[in-house]
Amino acid sequence: VFSSHSNLDPLTETYGIPFYLQYLAHWPEYFIVAEAPGGELMGYIMGKAEGSVAREEWHGHVTALSVAPEFRRLGLAAKLMEMLEEISERKGGFFVDLFVRVSNQVAVNMYKQLGYSVYRTVIEYYSANNGEPDEDAYDMRKALSRDTEKKSIIPLPHPVRPEDIE
Amino acid sequence: MAARGHVQDPNDRRLRPIYDYLDNGNNKMAIQQADKLLKKHKDLHCAKVLKAIGLQRTGKQDEAFTLAQEVAVLEPTDDNSLQALTILYREMHRPELVTKLYEAAVRKVPTSEEYHSHLFMAYARVGEYKKMQQAGMALYKIVPKNPYYFWSVMSLVMQSISAQDEKLSQTMFLPLAERMVEKMVKEEKIEAEAEVQLYFMILERLGKYVEALEVVQGPLGEKLTSELQSRENKCMMMYRRLERWAECNALSCKLLLKNPDDWQFYLLYFDSLFHLIDQSWTPPQEGAHSAEGEVHASTAQALSFMEDRIATEEAKESKHLRGPYLARLELIRRLRERSCPEAQQLGEPLELMFQFFVKFGDKPCCITDLKIFLDLLTPDQHVQFINRLMEAVPLCAPGEDGVALPGDTRALQRHLCVTQLSRSLGQQHALNTEGKLGLIKELKAHYQHGLQFGKSCLKTELQFSDMYCLMAAHVYVDLWLETGESNMLWQCLGLLEEGLSNSSSNAQFKLLLLLLYCRLGAFEPVVDLYSSLDAKHVQHDTIGYLLTRYAESLGQFAAASQSCNFSLRFFHSNQKDTSEYIIQAYKYGAFEKIPEFIGFRNRLNHSLHFAQVRTERMLLDLFLEADISSPLEESVKSMSLCPEEDDIPWDSLRDNRDLTVLVSWDPKDRQLNEEHRQRSLEEDTLWLRLRSLTLRLIGCVSALSHPPASRNSEKTTENGVAAKPSSLQSLLSQLENTLNQATQFSEKQLQVRTVTDRLALSSGCCQCQLSSLQLPLHLQELEATGLGSLLHTSLYMLEKCKGDLLEVKDSHSMTQHFLLENLVYFVETVCIVLWVSNYCGSVLRPLKSSLQKKKKKKKEARNVDQSFSSLQSLLNQALEHIKSQELSLTALELGALSLEAEATFTKTAMDKVQSSYLRSLQEIGELLKKRADTLKSLKI
Repeated sequence: VFSSHSNLDPLTETYGIPFYLQYLAHWPEYFIVAEAPGGELMGYIMGKAEGSVAREEWHGHVTALSVAPEFRRLGLAAKLMEMLEEISERKGGFFVDLFVRVSNQVAVNMYKQLGYSVYRTVIEYYSANNGEPDEDAYDMRKALSRDTEKKSIIPLPHPVRPEDIE
Repeated sequence: MAARGHVQDPNDRRLRPIYDYLDNGNNKMAIQQADKLLKKHKDLHCAKVLKAIGLQRTGKQDEAFTLAQEVAVLEPTDDNSLQALTILYREMHRPELVTKLYEAAVRKVPTSEEYHSHLFMAYARVGEYKKMQQAGMALYKIVPKNPYYFWSVMSLVMQSISAQDEKLSQTMFLPLAERMVEKMVKEEKIEAEAEVQLYFMILERLGKYVEALEVVQGPLGEKLTSELQSRENKCMMMYRRLERWAECNALSCKLLLKNPDDWQFYLLYFDSLFHLIDQSWTPPQEGAHSAEGEVHASTAQALSFMEDRIATEEAKESKHLRGPYLARLELIRRLRERSCPEAQQLGEPLELMFQFFVKFGDKPCCITDLKIFLDLLTPDQHVQFINRLMEAVPLCAPGEDGVALPGDTRALQRHLCVTQLSRSLGQQHALNTEGKLGLIKELKAHYQHGLQFGKSCLKTELQFSDMYCLMAAHVYVDLWLETGESNMLWQCLGLLEEGLSNSSSNAQFKLLLLLLYCRLGAFEPVVDLYSSLDAKHVQHDTIGYLLTRYAESLGQFAAASQSCNFSLRFFHSNQKDTSEYIIQAYKYGAFEKIPEFIGFRNRLNHSLHFAQVRTERMLLDLFLEADISSPLEESVKSMSLCPEEDDIPWDSLRDNRDLTVLVSWDPKDRQLNEEHRQRSLEEDTLWLRLRSLTLRLIGCVSALSHPPASRNSEKTTENGVAAKPSSLQSLLSQLENTLNQATQFSEKQLQVRTVTDRLALSSGCCQCQLSSLQLPLHLQELEATGLGSLLHTSLYMLEKCKGDLLEVKDSHSMTQHFLLENLVYFVETVCIVLWVSNYCGSVLRPLKSSLQKKKKKKKEARNVDQSFSSLQSLLNQALEHIKSQELSLTALELGALSLEAEATFTKTAMDKVQSSYLRSLQEIGELLKKRADTLKSLKI
């Protein structure tokens, strides 16, 4: 699973090893890697399942989605998202959600095309390297088949603070 | 940080403030608060442990440990103390103590599920698989929950994996694990997916593929739902192991119909197809072809299957998948390999690749995809192929400079792809010097022109035309290597600096700059380049070599320390982190991941790079500090360097370097191949051996002059020399052997420069370091004349350092960077000579007064004194040389070079090199000066 391909692309976060290990130990099925015929790493998606079933908040979460620059514009991100949604369907999730920087218009538009909508804005969700609050996030959601009335994606009227989200 | 659930407990309330202080990093207050509390409540053990945590975190390890042990011997059974001790031991890197702690707790409270479970995890942290197995069963007996039972089973699997004896693993551990699971199956107690996965894992490891297949396909297999295609993938794995090619073929067929873009199943489809053809497989008279349905067992069927996939793809309006088209080329390759005439029926590769280019040429991955099929073209087709593709690139009419340019980014991407393919076919390499210069001009024009498309790019985005710039730089490097003209290299650096100024996130620019600056011996600019790459985590292992290979040998000692530290910090934290996630994997039943995590940890622990930075870091500390800021033996002691112990796992060293991190479009015969990698690994391993032996020998020298206190003074010889030269002797002969090997190796390599070649071998400094380290041995026989001949060699080495690092000739600036590396190794050698001399002095000094009668010894001492003064003059000479180099470098006005107006970036590069040389000289000079000062005290 650990690729030796060096990930030096500035748009792709390279998380610490503990972070990856944590996900692999807990949600191995949510870690999907795509390889090219020549063996190059094309992209990966990483996620988890969380939330209370009783409160109809059980859902799949996209933690990281990354496609290498030379494999962009091939629909790979959409394919990986589709797989993550399929896994969340099987787990009986009500929806899939993700956080994205409000400034990352390219990503926001892509997720909209894939059927996601902004559920709420999380104020100062991202912080800069110095720990200072940096930017707001959109919490975007897409309802899964279990949420027949699509209740989970009704947008909240007000933004929330990071400490208010679970 | 600890359990605070039981609010009713008054102790919790009392301890709360200490926890808070610790959480906030206020260790001093935590200690004070704990002291206060302990005055009132002497028996509040947990307060002691919390105080110990505070002490540990303020660097008072010994005190912390003593205090903790006071509590540990009482064998506490309260949650607070246990958890606090666990945290403390973990921070002390003593996980084995946690097991002792919970062993005692479990003994006292044998029915506690919680303590048993902590004990299991404590064993897991230290990899005590046998005890884990028992602890798991003990837990299951107290609380019959399935996970506990399967923890125990998994521990058996781990015993089998770690067993040295394969037979033991196959006949004892795994069968036992299998029986344990079977028992649960029979009793119909299997609950979770993880349990089925573990069962499958055991059967697979036992080679019971038929049984494994039955599990996956049977009712238990229905639990395998989390992963996508989990059952299919597992079945496929077993079909392959069992060589059931019919099923393998039918299943890959089915999966390809579902997802025609999954490359691995094309490969399996072709593999199985040809196996079936070779076996002349025929379908059964009646019934289904196989358990997985229809089987393709003839070339004709495969051809029509591929044609169907393509037809389906063609019928789509948009979003064509690459898979079917690439698979068709792959099938042609395989048919040709088998000399099947049917290959032609699929079409002419040139034409098919052209069609692929028409469809996907505007995607950046087109080059990556087509590159692997270029060998399907015959050499005489190359020109035709490139011309054909070029026709499909929409370019505007050529401008004044004769270069036709693309009108948008899609056209640019197409043109770029053709250019990359042309380089991959060797067409650029075939050009003569003039042709290459023309090509560079053209590439630069494309680069400059393409910048307009990326005006709105963010700083984190790359420019669309960056690759042109990079390729032009590659052509410059070709020219430099061919002609040896340093001007080509300067132009190249200038171009890359320019590229970087337009596209500050381009890692490829940085990497190539980094490499070229290092080649020029200029490390200063490399520091910033590397840090702007923002290498993280595992990259310290995979690309850290780019930095650490050069840092010390180019005389930038401070930067060298820092770069070693980056890497070391990563390796050390990996140790601790991994264990925690192994435990998590048990908790969540991710059994398949456990061997992977352990494998990953080993991969990092056995990393060649790890061993290198560890060794270099210690050598560097000694060169910089020992006998300057503190005596040699103290430095040796503080790094707990033990000359008798070899801590490098030579037999299992892993080469984790990513040697392909730099983009290359070179044709196959010029690309880095396995042989290069092997040679480079061999060279680096030899070098590591030399360095590690040198390090241990320095440790020996220090131990000689300061034998451990326990040594009986009676046993020292009458000369006052500590008698234990055996390890010295053996290390010396090892060093000598390795040096011989290294010399042979480098003679063999003379024609081919390897990735990291070491100048130190040719400058003779290793030989000189060896001779100096041999001195203490000769001193046993009071033969100090060796020092004289050593000085002779050193003088010769210094001669090899002389010359101008940078000079301007015929308005070209030239470098002789190898002088710098020679100088560094000269200084290293001086350090070693001085340590050894110091030792010689300490042996001979007492003799001078007390043994006046023995004439020979007196003479010996006088000889040594003379040698010391020659040494002094050698150092003075070296210092003068460095001073004069500094002066001439500072005086050198590179601006005076008649550089063209556009060459401001080239000037930038030259300035960086000049400044870096100067800094290296200063650092080397300073160290040498400090060393010269220590010599003054070296009189007998």
